[in-house]
Amino acid sequence: MKPVLDWIFERTGIDRVWEALMERHIPEAEGSVSWLYTLGSAAMFVFTVQAVTGALLAMNYVPSPDHAYDSVKFIGDKVILGGFIRGLHHWGASFMVVIVVLHFMRTYFMGAYKYPREGTWMVGIALLGVVIGFGFTGYLLPWDQKAYWATMVGTNIAGQTPFVGPIISKILKGGVDMGAATLTRFYAIHVLILPAIIGILIGAHLFLVVWHGISEPPQRAKPSDGQEKP
Amino acid sequence: MEHESPSGSGAEMTRRTFLTWVSGACAAAIGAVLSASGLAYFVSPAFRKDDEGWVDVGRLADLKAGAPLKLDYVERRKDAWATTEKRASVWLVKDGDKVTAFDPRCTHLGCPFRWDDAKKQFLCPCHAGVFAVDGKVVSGPPPRPLDRYSVKVEAGRLLVNSKPIRSEA
Amino acid sequence: MSDWHEAYRRRYKEAKERGVSFFPYAVVKDVFMALLVLCALSYLAIHFGAGLEDVADPTDTTYNPRPEWYFLFMFQALKAFPGNLEPLAAVILPGVVVTLLFFLPFLDRGPKRHPFDRPLITGLGVLGLLMVSYLTYAGAKAPLLNPVVERDPVVESGARLYRDLNCAYCHRIGRKGGGVGPELDRVAPQETEEWLIKHFRDPRSVTPGSTMPQLHLLDDEVKALAAYMKSLGGGEPYSPEAPKLFAANCAVCHKIGKEGGEVGPDLSLIGSARDKAYIRRYVTDPALVNPSSAMPNFKDQLTGTQIEDIARYLSSLGR
Repeated sequence: MKPVLDWIFERTGIDRVWEALMERHIPEAEGSVSWLYTLGSAAMFVFTVQAVTGALLAMNYVPSPDHAYDSVKFIGDKVILGGFIRGLHHWGASFMVVIVVLHFMRTYFMGAYKYPREGTWMVGIALLGVVIGFGFTGYLLPWDQKAYWATMVGTNIAGQTPFVGPIISKILKGGVDMGAATLTRFYAIHVLILPAIIGILIGAHLFLVVWHGISEPPQRAKPSDGQEKP
Repeated sequence: MEHESPSGSGAEMTRRTFLTWVSGACAAAIGAVLSASGLAYFVSPAFRKDDEGWVDVGRLADLKAGAPLKLDYVERRKDAWATTEKRASVWLVKDGDKVTAFDPRCTHLGCPFRWDDAKKQFLCPCHAGVFAVDGKVVSGPPPRPLDRYSVKVEAGRLLVNSKPIRSEA
Repeated sequence: MSDWHEAYRRRYKEAKERGVSFFPYAVVKDVFMALLVLCALSYLAIHFGAGLEDVADPTDTTYNPRPEWYFLFMFQALKAFPGNLEPLAAVILPGVVVTLLFFLPFLDRGPKRHPFDRPLITGLGVLGLLMVSYLTYAGAKAPLLNPVVERDPVVESGARLYRDLNCAYCHRIGRKGGGVGPELDRVAPQETEEWLIKHFRDPRSVTPGSTMPQLHLLDDEVKALAAYMKSLGGGEPYSPEAPKLFAANCAVCHKIGKEGGEVGPDLSLIGSARDKAYIRRYVTDPALVNPSSAMPNFKDQLTGTQIEDIARYLSSLGR
């Protein structure tokens, strides 16, 4: 076993990567505060669940007004554990928003966005936007009443942007009215464009987290500790 | 800094080992749940039962003994979530109370054969294959008798299951 | 400026040295949290599933559009900005907030990090949080404009088939459609389900000489169409609450069938004389429609949704 491992390590450097990622020291957080630091990885985990269940759902989904609803029904009725997988994806979307917002709040209230982690924060805000984009585009896909009308309201809200509103609304809907073009557009954004963007952003976010080290729990400022401005 | 782990006490080492095992166990549980349910979903087509697929093709009363009848019908069926319609036809032969349904394609190369009422045989126009009224090869290149469909009679109507049953040579 | 950067780096390095290895001390918590999340997700997925409403119907005017819960606060905020101020709440305000958040590290850049040492930022955060929570709560509590009607999914799929098969080319429902075949909302509900099923399998088997084509329908399609036919005849759908509301509020004075009081007119056939909008206006405030009416107004006793529901129920009577 060991020679095989050594061979792999020498060729790939995985052992060094592991050391850099896993054996790195992090500032100690006490008790319940330390659990706040699991929110980021929890969001990563839910993302993994969404990716796996999403890929499975895509096997049986047709982004067309004629078949979208029936194919979603088919998943629930005819596929083994189809309802469960779809349930995971559905609730995963809500969990994603909750966890990402909690993660955002922790960072906000702990002041963890400050020097040197400004970039991590900005990438994080972009990630929050992508998550909301996932939620918005995914909501339409089952093509049921809820989906249709919520998207109608959503795209009309975007249409209220001053000056460019009507254009934005047309671009979002893929036309003047909501229909087949809207559905394929939302589907492509949901399964191709946003995953590509979120992949890049997650990569950047994680790199910056490791590069700067995770922020330490904040201490009250004391005259001597350098937190007071000179 | 690099050599931090050995510097810990014995108790710290066991704590570390313990936590490593807990992490591994949790990760294994997560992996098991996700991969098991994902796999079940993925392989589910293997366990899906085919639809029975009986199609009403016409009335039994129209079928006369000894005079094979070709019936055209529209087959409406579920293809996963979609409902499709397809035109198809079937040869029906009545012999006493027994009704037989033949696939309308020749077993040689799939040409549509016809009934020759004078010779009381099925003739294939492509390569001159000839079949008897019971589907057996009389002459020509066909390698095996005509393929059949399951057929049943319900309330005077003929129902055909349009999945061909391959005949033996 | 960079003095405190230097100081921070030093302090952070010390904190790190005092700290622990990421693996397994933090990892174990991460993985445990992930397991908890998966348990919660699985529980919700098994118990509540993902749900699927009726298929999207762009012509439906009785549906209550609702955004997903995490957009509810914006949905609710829009109600406070009438008319041409709406873009302010819909686009401009959220845009400004997001931009400010994005550039937050450059707006709040002192060395202090503890929330109590940054009262302004912390206060704004708490305020924003409270606002979003309140709006979400208010949005969730906001009454639905249209009564929620439980529809039979089998009837719904029948209605879809009716559209998909272009039945309206020959048949009429509610005066819409062609004149070749019979008027379905008048004729079809009278027939037994058994008759309808036979009819859809083969029209000529029950109506010799019928010119309706045989449709080669699947078993569940035949059942769905039969259910749809049986469901025809009513007006706009009302909830099961509507007759109960009538019994509780109106039956003291009004009669439907043999139940109810004698003070006001008998309403058993009101639907043949008055439409829903008229009835709704009347129930809301009778004096506006008929100044000599002795009927009290119900706009304070009943919600708009309930009045709409009752109006639909009454307008379906006697049709």
